[in-house]
Amino acid sequence: MSDFLTKEESMREPLQAAFSETMNPIGLNGVEFIEYTTARPQALGQVLEMMGFRPIARHRSREVQLYRQGDINIVVNAHASTDPVGPLSAGLAGDEQMHTRIAAIALRVRDAQTAFNYVVDKGAWAVNTYPQVMELNIPAIHGAGGSRLYFVDRYKEFSIYDVDFVPTPGVDQHPPATAGMHFFGIVQYIGLDRSDDWLTFYQELMGAQPVPAHERFGILPQGTLIRFPSTDTSASFMMQLIEPEGDMFDGAEYVQRIGFGVHDVRAAVKQLSEQHVEFVKTSGAHTDARGAITKTYEHGVVFEFVHSQFGVKS
Amino acid sequence: MTTLAFEHKNVARVRQTIKGFGMDTITLAGPLGAKLDAIQQAGFSQVMLKANDFVGHPQGFKAGVAEFKSSGLRGTGFQVLRDFEGLSGDLHAYKVDIAKSMLDMCSALGCDVLLACSSTSVHASSDRDHIASDLRKLAILAIPYGIKIAYEALSWGRTINEFSDAWDVISRADCPNLGIGLDSFHIFASKTQLEELNFLAPHKIFLVQLADFLWQEAPTFEDRRTTARTFRVFPGEGVHSPDLKALVLKLEDLGYGGDYSFEVFNDDYQQMALETVAQRGQRSAIWLADEVLRRNVPSLKEMRLR
Repeated sequence: MSDFLTKEESMREPLQAAFSETMNPIGLNGVEFIEYTTARPQALGQVLEMMGFRPIARHRSREVQLYRQGDINIVVNAHASTDPVGPLSAGLAGDEQMHTRIAAIALRVRDAQTAFNYVVDKGAWAVNTYPQVMELNIPAIHGAGGSRLYFVDRYKEFSIYDVDFVPTPGVDQHPPATAGMHFFGIVQYIGLDRSDDWLTFYQELMGAQPVPAHERFGILPQGTLIRFPSTDTSASFMMQLIEPEGDMFDGAEYVQRIGFGVHDVRAAVKQLSEQHVEFVKTSGAHTDARGAITKTYEHGVVFEFVHSQFGVKS
Repeated sequence: MTTLAFEHKNVARVRQTIKGFGMDTITLAGPLGAKLDAIQQAGFSQVMLKANDFVGHPQGFKAGVAEFKSSGLRGTGFQVLRDFEGLSGDLHAYKVDIAKSMLDMCSALGCDVLLACSSTSVHASSDRDHIASDLRKLAILAIPYGIKIAYEALSWGRTINEFSDAWDVISRADCPNLGIGLDSFHIFASKTQLEELNFLAPHKIFLVQLADFLWQEAPTFEDRRTTARTFRVFPGEGVHSPDLKALVLKLEDLGYGGDYSFEVFNDDYQQMALETVAQRGQRSAIWLADEVLRRNVPSLKEMRLR
């Protein structure tokens, strides 16, 4: 008899799918960090601190700061202007390249080299990352609109930050999460009729799967929702692919915002409002029990909140 | 050839009539700028671009891109990636690198279709699943750029030499941005039945290239290759006009709504004034639009609006 019939959900073995090579080909296990590039690191830092993040460490050789709360790491890179840009961002005007934007998503994988080889063999573009002496060489590929996807395998026994970053003296290296915030998902804006392309991209390289249309999260449920597999069930995350509305011709593709999961959306919004975070209150997008969305900071920095117990339920 | 057609219709009307058609830079001799001028002067709004026009530009690739962008013409697509599929080991790795360079150039030009021709290489595998898997990889490489891959069966391709074969491997590869490129020359040379078009998904036809030729038969691969590279003519100028007409009507009937480009390799056109060749192209486009597709016959909807 299947243990589905005899055991409570919590007592069952984790779903085998997430462990199999087919369902999770690169041993994906959540997001290690999100990287923003900006020409205004202090201004972005203020926004992040308002959101409950704390600056905990500084990069050894570059103008890069690490912010953290709970299990969420955000890297603010003000050094990007001198980094060689990939061909995908070559079309951007100089000032667009320096707009504050999400430039990279670092994915936790079982083995970074194996994952990197796997995705490149499937048709991903390897990106050169130019580590300095004694710094980690983190493999990367092209993502949407000039952004990158990194593969990180050292997140359990020790962290990549121990190598590349110097902790800020006297600062708690593990600040607790505001209102139980945890990483929930990413929203990627895409061109017209591009949902199938991007779904195929994430499916082929990372084993992501479309989420059935009746399962929706948050207050802005449009677009195509996909779920990434993970070896730990709670580390699974979502991506929402959003095409331009019918009357809009803006086909620009980019990673637009991060979604945080919180147990109690209203309580989180109340707490963050006290920290001066402002939330959108239009009829189409206002705070309710399912979710909330902040106003836009720094010409393009938005955070979304979604009701969630912890991570994504599978 | 006279310029009768051009004189009898005003420029705006010609442009409107032939807007779904484009010329290929390969048809014309001379530098890129002169080709683009001639194509635009003849009323075309789009052009199929070939890599050598840009890499061989006297001021270099970037200058070529700038020249194209300032022309106001739209790029129908970019050509051509050859002999990509079916290879292994170092040869495969080499071709992936070539494909990436082609995608970079295609993207720099703002073209959203890259033409890939079926392999003629004796080093390539004939295994259709191998071919499909390589084409899928090519399509995945193109996704971040928003580029579609139009895979075309050369009529002298080693394994894939009919569009029906190309469609088979495209279906096996099953990638949304991998579709088919049709070329009337190859269809007529290999004598593939038009009924085979019924099996295609119309939204997966990413490009249609049209050309005619003056021989009734091109039975061997060598005949086909020589004719294809030296003696194609514009649609309506050769002996396959009825077939060409049937092909275009069939595609319209299936619901194809994309571009038609004139893929005319012709050694004679290479030594004629660009304007003269472009006018032949214009005459051909007007023939297709007016007499074959009847695009200027007002639809019921338009009549009601008046």
